[in-house]
Amino acid sequence: MTHKTAPVPAAAGHPASEARLQIERDVISAMQKPGLAYWALVGFCAMVFVVCLLGAWAWQIYKGIGVGGQQNPVGWGIYIVNFVFWVGIAHSGTLISAVLFLFRSKFRASFNRAAEAMTVIAVMCAGMYPLIHLGRAWYFFWLLPYPNQRLLWTNFKSPLEWDVFAVSTYLTISVVFFYVGLIPDFAIVKRYTKGFSRHVYSALSLGWVGSKRQWRNYNMLYALLAGFAAPLVLSVHSVVSWDFAMGLVPGWHTTIFAPYFVAGAIFSGCAMVLTLCIPMRKIQKLERVMPIDHFEKLAKTMLFTSMIVGYAYIVEFLLAYYSGNVYEFGIFADRATGHYKYQYWGMVFCNMIVPLPLFIKRLRRSLAYLFITSIFVNIGMWLERFVIIITSLSKEFVPYAWGTYRPQPVEISITIGTFAFFFMMFLLFAKFLPVVAITEKKEEVH
Amino acid sequence: MTEKFVFESEHDFLHKLEELVKGGVKPKDIEIRAPHPVHDAEEILDMKPSIVRTFALVGGLAGAATGYLFTSLTALDWVLPVGNKPIVGIPPYTVIAFELMVLFGGLSAFLGFLVGSRMPAVRTVISNDEFVDSFEIHVRKG
Repeated sequence: MTHKTAPVPAAAGHPASEARLQIERDVISAMQKPGLAYWALVGFCAMVFVVCLLGAWAWQIYKGIGVGGQQNPVGWGIYIVNFVFWVGIAHSGTLISAVLFLFRSKFRASFNRAAEAMTVIAVMCAGMYPLIHLGRAWYFFWLLPYPNQRLLWTNFKSPLEWDVFAVSTYLTISVVFFYVGLIPDFAIVKRYTKGFSRHVYSALSLGWVGSKRQWRNYNMLYALLAGFAAPLVLSVHSVVSWDFAMGLVPGWHTTIFAPYFVAGAIFSGCAMVLTLCIPMRKIQKLERVMPIDHFEKLAKTMLFTSMIVGYAYIVEFLLAYYSGNVYEFGIFADRATGHYKYQYWGMVFCNMIVPLPLFIKRLRRSLAYLFITSIFVNIGMWLERFVIIITSLSKEFVPYAWGTYRPQPVEISITIGTFAFFFMMFLLFAKFLPVVAITEKKEEVH
Repeated sequence: MTEKFVFESEHDFLHKLEELVKGGVKPKDIEIRAPHPVHDAEEILDMKPSIVRTFALVGGLAGAATGYLFTSLTALDWVLPVGNKPIVGIPPYTVIAFELMVLFGGLSAFLGFLVGSRMPAVRTVISNDEFVDSFEIHVRKG
């Protein structure tokens, strides 16, 4: 926070009151004015974002989409891999906030704010990719449902059009959900700030004072938004999976795709929450409000979804074999032994093997181990999308039309740039907004 | 005139609230402030269901209807037969209807929250009235 901070109120006498104020102090102190090293990190991410993403994108627009490696037969390169990856990352935010809220899981309160912020930022990252992939990004409005000059509408039967509805709805509802959760916390931050910042937080809190009318409507709204968001999250990644599964391409045309993608999304999202929250807990000194027990529960969720994903990898082979379809089985055999075998086995190693030691309680409670595992899972899940998209396209039906794809520097640069954008936004979030839901944490105090 | 009671603990606050209501104070004359949601207080005050539910229902239904009507009517406006598929395809349009149901329902629920909570409360935004960390009961008298 770059503003003046009012002195923290002295603790009141009652133990419950003291505990509540301690939560406030812990979270608000994480928002203190960042040091030079913090700003340097934000600046570095911003620089990488501008140079690698905006610079490379500008170059691509200037030269044409041909500077990327996408060409026949692989028309969907790592831009689409990144799109699916970021949508997947976004999903765990909603899972942690909405689904765990509906299940009344206590451990969500440690992560839900960070996870929701991650969702919003990740959907922004995902949203960039269809535009980058378009080549002529300024024609993006062709995707929107409006009648063209011949009064012909977009094709509402196309999964790509469903995606427009699904992803834009997801972004909107995620932002609303994130903001609604922040309203009471903005009112708390208002109490700790002075000057211009106080006016900003006061306006953002919309005049929240915690009256009976406000809490009653707030509770109902939060529950309803969670109720809307939980099926939404399932639908969005199902729709993303149908971008592939609705096509007749071998390796894509399968009914397992929707649940497989949803489980993979939750898996990768849990990993990204760990990647972000473990350093944040240390840097922001949030040990009291983010206990190890809660990390252990998140690790269990990650382990469980890893096993679902691993099961899907095995079942896919079985389905391909049992289908009796030579193309279908051919593509799976090629994934494991062909041109992209290193990516395939890398994916299996990162997503199936690396998380298995989490069955050991001591490792689940080791933040260093969890952090390393989460990095492997992030890489593994990126590779999974690469394997699904690239291998299937590179060897479709006619051997004459087969070909390989290799990401070009422009594509790699844009990919790095999105990661920089993601971390830059998250670092800014961690200093300007309360990173833990204060009122929800207070609810646990009795 | 308003009488104000301030408590540090949730237990004392609920105890006093119950005592007041049993003592004959009408719930509509009681205003409370709480640092976090207190579900028991809502029960003691016997509060009406929130209007946010109605907003969400109406918004959700309107969204689903919009999704089906928008896709079907545009398909009928310019009939484009492809591969003997139905002109109005319910399964694909259900995806769009579902997304719009969530979109309209969620936004409408948020609107319901603002209307029901009388927010944004401009007077509170510009005043020094704060969301404090204590449980308060304000009883209106006379």
